Amino acid sequence: MKFVVKQLTKGVPRLGKLIELNGKPNITLQTPLVMLHTQGGQVPHITHEVLKLVSNNPHILQIPLVSVHNFKEAMDYFDGAINEFIGSEESICCLTLHDPSNLTQQGFNAKGKVPVWTKNGKVQYNSESYMKTVESFRPDMYHLLSDGDTNQSSTQKRISKAVANTNAFHKECLEIHRTSEKLKDCLIIAPIAGGYSISQRKDCLESILKDDDEVGGYLIDGLHNNGPEVEFLPFSDIEPIVKYSIDKLPAEKLRTIQGCWNPLTIIKLVKLGVDIFDTSYCRMLTERSAAMTFPIDGTEDSVTYEINLRQLRYLDDFQPILIGCQCPACLKYSRGYIHHLLSVQELLGPVLIMIHNIHHFLRFFEKIRRCIDEDCLSQLETRIEIYFTRYQQEILLPQKEPVVNDTIY
Amino acid sequence: MNVKNKPLLFTILAECNSSKARVSKMQLPHGVVDTPVFMPVGTQGTLKGILPEQLEKLDLQIMLANTYHLGTKPGVDILKKAGGLHKFMNWNRNLLTDSGGFQMVSLLKLAEITEEGVKFQSLNEQKSEVMLTPEHSIEIQNAIGADIIMQLDDVVKTTNPDKERIEVSVHRTTRWLDRCLSAHQREQDQNLFPIVQGTLYEDLRKISAKDLIQREVNGYAIGGLSGGESKEEFWRIVHLCTDLLPKDKPRYLMGVGFATDLVVCCALGVDMFDCVFPTRTARFGCGLVMNGQLNLRSKKYEKDFKPIDEECECDTCQKYTRAYLHCIVTVIPVACHLLTIHNVTFQLRLMKGIRNSITQGNFPKFVADFMLKNYPDKNYPKWIKESLSTVNINLH
Repeated sequence: MKFVVKQLTKGVPRLGKLIELNGKPNITLQTPLVMLHTQGGQVPHITHEVLKLVSNNPHILQIPLVSVHNFKEAMDYFDGAINEFIGSEESICCLTLHDPSNLTQQGFNAKGKVPVWTKNGKVQYNSESYMKTVESFRPDMYHLLSDGDTNQSSTQKRISKAVANTNAFHKECLEIHRTSEKLKDCLIIAPIAGGYSISQRKDCLESILKDDDEVGGYLIDGLHNNGPEVEFLPFSDIEPIVKYSIDKLPAEKLRTIQGCWNPLTIIKLVKLGVDIFDTSYCRMLTERSAAMTFPIDGTEDSVTYEINLRQLRYLDDFQPILIGCQCPACLKYSRGYIHHLLSVQELLGPVLIMIHNIHHFLRFFEKIRRCIDEDCLSQLETRIEIYFTRYQQEILLPQKEPVVNDTIY
Repeated sequence: MNVKNKPLLFTILAECNSSKARVSKMQLPHGVVDTPVFMPVGTQGTLKGILPEQLEKLDLQIMLANTYHLGTKPGVDILKKAGGLHKFMNWNRNLLTDSGGFQMVSLLKLAEITEEGVKFQSLNEQKSEVMLTPEHSIEIQNAIGADIIMQLDDVVKTTNPDKERIEVSVHRTTRWLDRCLSAHQREQDQNLFPIVQGTLYEDLRKISAKDLIQREVNGYAIGGLSGGESKEEFWRIVHLCTDLLPKDKPRYLMGVGFATDLVVCCALGVDMFDCVFPTRTARFGCGLVMNGQLNLRSKKYEKDFKPIDEECECDTCQKYTRAYLHCIVTVIPVACHLLTIHNVTFQLRLMKGIRNSITQGNFPKFVADFMLKNYPDKNYPKWIKESLSTVNINLH
């Protein structure tokens, strides 16, 4: 796998492409791109077959280890890579550590080990056990093991430990990678730790950049502990760290960031030069029964940023989620039907919302790429800002709209 | 009514030379249904997370929805505003709704049956007493707009030995049928089926069927079975009822869906079946195969890289191994979707196999092969041997 940047200018929104993918020579992926966040190898609520109804293009699946750690036993005997095991041979898989859509429990960090909170409880990984799993899964790309357990309130002590751990994991994992025949075509993403401390980021970057020629890209890690709170992390808080890190990173390498960032923050991060995001934001919205309705082209008939389909006002609303949207959910199903499904806790409710959210988010990224190409990203930013600001103000209002209660027969 | 405008045209295409099995074409307002047919249950206007587009791809021709649930939520007003359930749920093929009576009796402990209807305590916050009458059931079913609708019947548990009570239920069911028929507003595009009652009493079943077949309807259901009675009692009543019901109309056996039961009851002349089993068992992580079901939660599938069923052509079997499904069943909702796709495909494939063998004149061989797969040691249960030999299919 190879990454090619269109212009090698620093600190600006940039277009790039991923080419020469393993076993998929004819596929090109354009950046900035969004990886499809998965759990257990599937986009939440959507089977690979339904995903094809939403998008027929090739995608990178983000596979958080925490949701597939129980696959290892089978994978050790399975004659194939993780994309084949999960039934999506046509996909490109990126193995990551934590699930960006769920809050990661803090603490329990021991030297040389990272706790991963699976459904069966805590599992500790060290470089060796982590790399064994990577070798067994054979993803197309993966994150090296890291200690990203920092956020805005982390102490200096915690941050410096996170950096020390991450630096050590980096060296140990790379060492194993070098001797691994199975991983020789596998692209490495190196996480950069250091919380909100510029000096700690500096230390981490200096240590990790020594191995730059072996690394395909970098992850700006340690900004948050995942989960819904990332949506409202102010951009101004993360900006200095992201800006500083990107300035230090080589321009020809991929820059990735994880988490449920809102679309406005995503545009701002793209403007700083971030190349890869994920769709955990779609899942987070879907779990709270919300569908994205912010305009992407500016021609959509929408006055809202998102709508919550549990609200009673949708009971007899037979319009689609977003008028004019061409996703399979909007073409054939109404807000009223989805409201009904949610009110009786039927599985198809989140399926339809997720179909729409994924479709909308993919379209949003297409638009970002087109805007960079046409040099009008700021216009898109302004448009979405109006909708997002209004939405943020509305959710702070004391009067909440009535929503349907769950009933169980 | 003009025959041409009937909302149900039933044409028998082939009959088994030995048993009572037959293959027919049932033309309904939303397309043809090939019988014998299994109808999966989409209780609340949706089938376990599966898109109607996917169900069409499986070539599903008809599914069930439940009147009691839909009448409660979203309710008659919304259904009417939406233009009926077909439109509301984006399913342009056939639907069948039950009457709601069975749900009341089985789900609600407080239900009380009087001549007027079924009285029960509503589940809403007011806990008010609500009465489901035959007229009300039909009103809801008219709003839902299914292609086949069911009369409200007086359901008595098959395990209830009180013959006097059962006799009352038989006559009341007939009286309720007449009330349903006169309340029915959409005869031109909805078929109302009566339900034969009488639990396990042959004389009462005879009375029930005799009364019901005098009404002008397009098909009949056999109710009050599959409720805990022995298989021995069960098959004898099915056999009796298919003899009592007219040959030229579809016969629907309610609540039956295990593979062996389907095969036997097809031999006994049943045309339509429904059951929650295939979709419910999917939710618990079980995949259906010709000789039973695989519980994919079991550790023995951990390193099993075969599909659920090597002969199955569903998307799930084409792409996913038992080992992978073992990793995700009951963990992520998508696992339930994948197993539901397989299990519905399985039921459709079984029914297609039955139809093809009847058409080709080798149904008895199909039955023998199927039973051998399920009982490789030929240790056939008595009820299977007896029921099949009654219709001239002998298992050796």
